[in-house]
Amino acid sequence: MMETELTDDIDQPLRDRLKAHPRPALLWAAGLCVLLLLEGPTYLDGLLGAIGAGLALLPGAPGAEAFASASAFFSELPHLLSRELVPNRGYYDGSAWQGTFLGLEPKYAWLIRFLLVYAYVAALLGWLWYGYVLFRRHYRAANWTPTDDVIDRLRSHYWGLFGLAVVVFFITMAAFAPVVGPTTAEENIEGPYSHDMKYYNEDTETVETITIGEANLGSASRGSGDSNVGIWSYDDFGRFHPVGTLVSGKDLFTFLAFGARVSLFIGLGSMAIAGFIATTLALVTAYYKGVTDLIVVLTSDSVQAMPALLLVILATVVFRNHWIAELYSGAMLFILLFALIRWPGLWRAVRGPALQVGEQEWVDAAKSYGQRPTVIMRKHMAPYILGYLLVYASLTLGGVIISVSALSFLGLGITAPTPEWGRAINIGQQYIASQSWHISLIPGILITLVVTGFNAFSDGIRDAIDPQSEGAEGGATGAAAGGGGG
Amino acid sequence: MSRFTYLFKRVALSIPVIIFGTTVTFAIIRLGPLSPAAAILGPQGDARAIRQIEKRLGLNDPLWEQYFDFMSNLFLFDLGQSWVINSGTPAIDLIISYAPRTIWLGFWAVLIALGIGIPLGFYAGLNPNTFSDYFASFGGIVWRAMPNFWLAVILVTVLSQSEQLFGFSWTSFIVETNVVTSPNLAVLKNPTRLLTDPGQAWTNLAKATKQILPPALVLGSASMGTEMRIGRTAVLETINSKYVETAKAKGVSPRVLVWKHIFRNALIPLVPVITAEAFILIGGSVLVETVFSINGIGLLFFRAAEQGDLPLVGTLMYLFILLIVGLNIVQDFAYTIIDPRVGYDG
Repeated sequence: MMETELTDDIDQPLRDRLKAHPRPALLWAAGLCVLLLLEGPTYLDGLLGAIGAGLALLPGAPGAEAFASASAFFSELPHLLSRELVPNRGYYDGSAWQGTFLGLEPKYAWLIRFLLVYAYVAALLGWLWYGYVLFRRHYRAANWTPTDDVIDRLRSHYWGLFGLAVVVFFITMAAFAPVVGPTTAEENIEGPYSHDMKYYNEDTETVETITIGEANLGSASRGSGDSNVGIWSYDDFGRFHPVGTLVSGKDLFTFLAFGARVSLFIGLGSMAIAGFIATTLALVTAYYKGVTDLIVVLTSDSVQAMPALLLVILATVVFRNHWIAELYSGAMLFILLFALIRWPGLWRAVRGPALQVGEQEWVDAAKSYGQRPTVIMRKHMAPYILGYLLVYASLTLGGVIISVSALSFLGLGITAPTPEWGRAINIGQQYIASQSWHISLIPGILITLVVTGFNAFSDGIRDAIDPQSEGAEGGATGAAAGGGGG
Repeated sequence: MSRFTYLFKRVALSIPVIIFGTTVTFAIIRLGPLSPAAAILGPQGDARAIRQIEKRLGLNDPLWEQYFDFMSNLFLFDLGQSWVINSGTPAIDLIISYAPRTIWLGFWAVLIALGIGIPLGFYAGLNPNTFSDYFASFGGIVWRAMPNFWLAVILVTVLSQSEQLFGFSWTSFIVETNVVTSPNLAVLKNPTRLLTDPGQAWTNLAKATKQILPPALVLGSASMGTEMRIGRTAVLETINSKYVETAKAKGVSPRVLVWKHIFRNALIPLVPVITAEAFILIGGSVLVETVFSINGIGLLFFRAAEQGDLPLVGTLMYLFILLIVGLNIVQDFAYTIIDPRVGYDG
């Protein structure tokens, strides 16, 4: 954020510096294009699909169909990370695997695709980082900016890097949910009886066709006897389940991947709204102080005095049959609720830095030049507090993920069939001590890992932007963890 | 400003907070898409019964009248009655019969968190950057990130099947108890029985305590992790401060140094954490009580909300808000007593 600001004001604009020495930038841009094109159809499909879904909510749904059909067109195009390129589902015909990638066992075919997704994401992120390094080396006017120190500190903060890795792992899983799973949500979870599959019947030694729903009945994990498909194993129909199956016989990994999508969507959505409210209020109160500050203090105190989890429970019950609870199976309602409940925490975290920056001479200088208050807040104050906001938002996001899974554990909120991790824990509750322990334990471990990851990432950024703060973690982080409530 | 003016100001400032929270509750219940009358009767309720309840709840009055009724009733502690959970029972009776188990749970949750979290944190702080410090710190972080309900589910399974899993039977350990059940607190209502009928009464007390320990451990887990972390940092910070160095230089024995100079000052930042636990306990009690099926306030709230007993939900919400606000005041006040450096205007 800081480099661009600096380069704006330096005599030679960035464009000229690029022109003077274009080679590294062009090579890098070409590389980025290749990486993006490999997956281009997916991005366009997702983007257009999202716009179409958004338009469909408007009265009359103007143009929604055009976007939907465009999105469908792009989803047909071949790309690198597609199920069609590395198919893992096939059947055994008695001598060899048919329909899988290179005739490999489904296990290895799936593993290849899974690793390919992560390799792609790693390559993309690495390339972006390389781009930043190039920018620093060839094009940035200043030799050094304070951001360099922040980044260097983050790079040597192993705990924070661990957090970043977990966060990237989680986001990739959510973003590429349709590709990383051994099967798709549509076929396996939402409409198992409207899709067929082939399998090798060992008794008759022939290949037979069966609906996925019926196959699921045979692959259920119910604890006792033969009825269990555990971690890293095949079911009777030649389907591979990396972390076993649910009680209903559906694939747990696919369930978790799509559950990650819902959790991430709620977490990011609510933090975006809450972060916006918090930043705006922090800037306004730090700039004007006085009565404005008092009003916001009272409002945030009032919101924080309400038991958050209970308020959400009440609201989900009251809005149960309302249209807003039907958007993305209730995720939209959660976004709004958590945004409204969590902004005071974020605001409290950035209020201190905002007040601090409001006292700076450059703000005074800008004022005396006659710059408008909105511009001062946006250009001279906001960049300073965004780092702190990120620290706290990352921490709160973990709390939101826990709360959402806690509510779906109670059977509230995200409605079936949309997967949610908490529901898997609830479903597997009675099988924990049996051989089907994976149903409850794996989602729980995943939640713990992801929440720890977000906390670690937040620690990393905090130590990077403010190395003196190590001791000051007390109040703020404590209250954030308290807000988890799950 | 004297301490009592401060207290008075603090109480005065909490009134708008309570009004705000109660108003939001009113808005959700009365203005939300679900009418309380329809919620009470469920989808099959016939129109006449709905009209009757609407009349009794005053839902046909003008909205401002409903609002003032609602608020004045709550502020005068006229808490209304339950409609679904225990039809016709005054809400206050229900709460009195459910509350003791939640208080018992909360009491042990705080005690366990304090008793384990703070000593561990202080130990880690006094031995920084050793293996045991890393182990304790890492454990605290992971422990804090674990969802309460998941921990509860696992604990229930492990304890109720401990015989098969570890060859040690939790259910018959010391006294015979079940894992998933409400503790029987009759003894505490009648403490003289501990003297008059010691055999029976002490067994019952032991049972009630043993039953509450696992849920209390789960409920206290998040704060335990937080207390540990903050205790560690507080000790580290105190150790490096000048007055500890001075004390060392003048020859204070290590024992006195730790207990008198470090321990007492390191406790200060822990005060808000301990009171912040109240928030976790209130929210977490819903989940923990559901999993362990303890008939407490949390479970009462959850059932009331699920079954559409909105009047009871409103009452409970109001009481929770009062509790949180009250605890906040106590915390701020305690802070000024423990640490006189804390300003009264903060």
